[in-house]
Amino acid sequence: MQLIDKLSILADAAKYDASCASSGAPKRSSAGKSGLGSTNGMGICHSFTPDGRCVSLLKILLTNFCLYDCQYCVNRRSSDVPRARFSPEEVVTLTLDFYRRNCVSGLFLSSGIIRSADYTMEQLIRVAKLLREEHEFRGYIHLKTIPDADPLLIEQAGRYADRLSVNIELPTDAGLQILAPEKDVVSIKKAMQTIHIGEQNVRNEPRAPRFAPAGQSTQMIVGADATDDSTILHSAEALYGTFGLRRVYYSAFSPIPNSPKSVPLAAPPLMREHRLYQADFLLRSYGYRANELLQGPGDLALDIDPKLAWALDNRTVFPLDLNRADASLIARIPGIGLRTTQRLIELRRQRKIRYEDLARMRCVLIKARPFIITSDYHPPLAETSSEQLHGQLRDKPQPQQMGLWG
Amino acid sequence: MIRLDCDDVFDTWRQQARWLLSHEIDPSQVSWAEQHAADLFASDTPYPAQPGPFQARIPLALLELLKSAACYRGDQRWSLLYEVLWRVSHGDRTAMMAGDKLGSELHRRLKIISREAHHLHAFVRFVALPAIDGPEHLARPQYVAWHEPAHDILPSASAHFIGRMGQHRWLIATPEDGAYYDGEQLRHQRPCPVEWQQLAQNAEDPHGDLWLTYYSHIFNPARLNAKVMQGHLPARFWKNLPEGPLIPALISQARTGKQRDGQASQIAGRPGKQIRADKKKGEHALPSADD
Repeated sequence: MQLIDKLSILADAAKYDASCASSGAPKRSSAGKSGLGSTNGMGICHSFTPDGRCVSLLKILLTNFCLYDCQYCVNRRSSDVPRARFSPEEVVTLTLDFYRRNCVSGLFLSSGIIRSADYTMEQLIRVAKLLREEHEFRGYIHLKTIPDADPLLIEQAGRYADRLSVNIELPTDAGLQILAPEKDVVSIKKAMQTIHIGEQNVRNEPRAPRFAPAGQSTQMIVGADATDDSTILHSAEALYGTFGLRRVYYSAFSPIPNSPKSVPLAAPPLMREHRLYQADFLLRSYGYRANELLQGPGDLALDIDPKLAWALDNRTVFPLDLNRADASLIARIPGIGLRTTQRLIELRRQRKIRYEDLARMRCVLIKARPFIITSDYHPPLAETSSEQLHGQLRDKPQPQQMGLWG
Repeated sequence: MIRLDCDDVFDTWRQQARWLLSHEIDPSQVSWAEQHAADLFASDTPYPAQPGPFQARIPLALLELLKSAACYRGDQRWSLLYEVLWRVSHGDRTAMMAGDKLGSELHRRLKIISREAHHLHAFVRFVALPAIDGPEHLARPQYVAWHEPAHDILPSASAHFIGRMGQHRWLIATPEDGAYYDGEQLRHQRPCPVEWQQLAQNAEDPHGDLWLTYYSHIFNPARLNAKVMQGHLPARFWKNLPEGPLIPALISQARTGKQRDGQASQIAGRPGKQIRADKKKGEHALPSADD
């Protein structure tokens, strides 16, 4: 089989993994050195596909032959898809070619499980080792970690990769048992723990061999089973806390060809996925707790963002005086982000904040207005109820062109 | 009214601004030529060439902001910078903050500039030139790219590729200027030499199909969202990206039925292969890389 045929099969097989991030790596440079590649921690999106997703890494499977039969996966053994397998050298060639063209910032390599978990993991490591040692490649490498692989192999992978990831796949153990019978949550979490310990061992040890400096991430499939957003967010919060994950990715379940009856054959729930990412961002960067966003079972609202939803549910906190309030509370005002919060704090050291300033900082004033006080503005005293505000501020559905099967 | 021309060069503007400030010349009294229109220091008000008595003190951070905002191509490119400089040097630091009327325009420009630098890092596409025999080979770039930035970011933003490309020699040519790294030094030229432009625009790429294949297959038609894509990848870049011409067809294929599942139609058309459930036997079904 020609390289280009393998590439088409194994890129098509890899598209269901949401992550394509190349951020978080330490500063590396090839200036004045042999070899190729640099990282600066920022990550670059080199292209965007018409699904609006970023192309940052060459994201492929080493092979889509797989012994497992995970129901949500296009590459499950019972799926009738064309199959192919790269040699490690072929992946190296492709990575370097795309990298020199400036099409990607590195490699994200995953694989179907062939022969055994250890054998598969060894193959992935071999690619990373070739890139780093034979070709002095200093770009980004993300390796998918096979849960049941020997911890020694995971340790080895961490020496070459910037990021390691183990997919949790489904937010609940029960879901995993039904849809991915060969996987089990215990070994997935054990692998996460191995990576977490590996990271901790080299922290503050400048001379230790490096270990996955961009940390670990995971992916949860959303909408393949009936799990609600509350369970998903609490599960994500626990993963952030227990294993120090950098990111949890949410992947709206995308219908697969020859779909088994156990998973839906419906358009991916993209808006739900979007709201989960917004809520996740509130957990990671704004200091919200999952409990604050969803107290009981249930889903996030689709028509308003989770920050606005929280503000509408907690009207006693507002309105907040921008000239006095604590920065962490200002950041909870709808329409005002972390960057604007920082700018407001800087400005108020110089002078009083006025309403007009917010427009200049390009806040979403229509959302912020009911929740703020400035030196020249107070929201109308006649209390506007949260229900009314919800009605005014919700995203009106855009008219959609129907798909042929919509 | 004093009319100045700095040839769109920051250091020239800086000298001029320093002189203006030393004479405490109010921003309303100065303008800079937009397109090489006026003579240097053409003025209907006589001022001495020597610096005046006013000693301006400004934070170092402001200089960095001004230098970066100076890359912005547009109206009031230089006079806005002088106005900010004037106010900060007269004790009003809000002029460099986003909450201020003037400061918000400064920050808008800074954001556009950093975005445009990022566009260069992301969307430059190098093509390998075929090696030629002889010593003249070393005088040529190994990789060339044609890029059309909307602002003057090439001199500052192109250094990124030194770290990325190691000792390779590369050239980025634009309609206005060019940057050439010869393996040791980065040279910037404005205007861009014609031979650089020709080298970059006429390079042939016989092995470009691998990237195009990858781009088409990593796209998930079931998630079509052309609006978000256009927000991140503005259409003005499409014509210089090898994958640009593929975009309209991928969108229309997805709209006309390929949205049903995530698989590309080329893959759906190929024969598939199920793997036997028995793990031991399954091993035999597994191929080697030569298959």
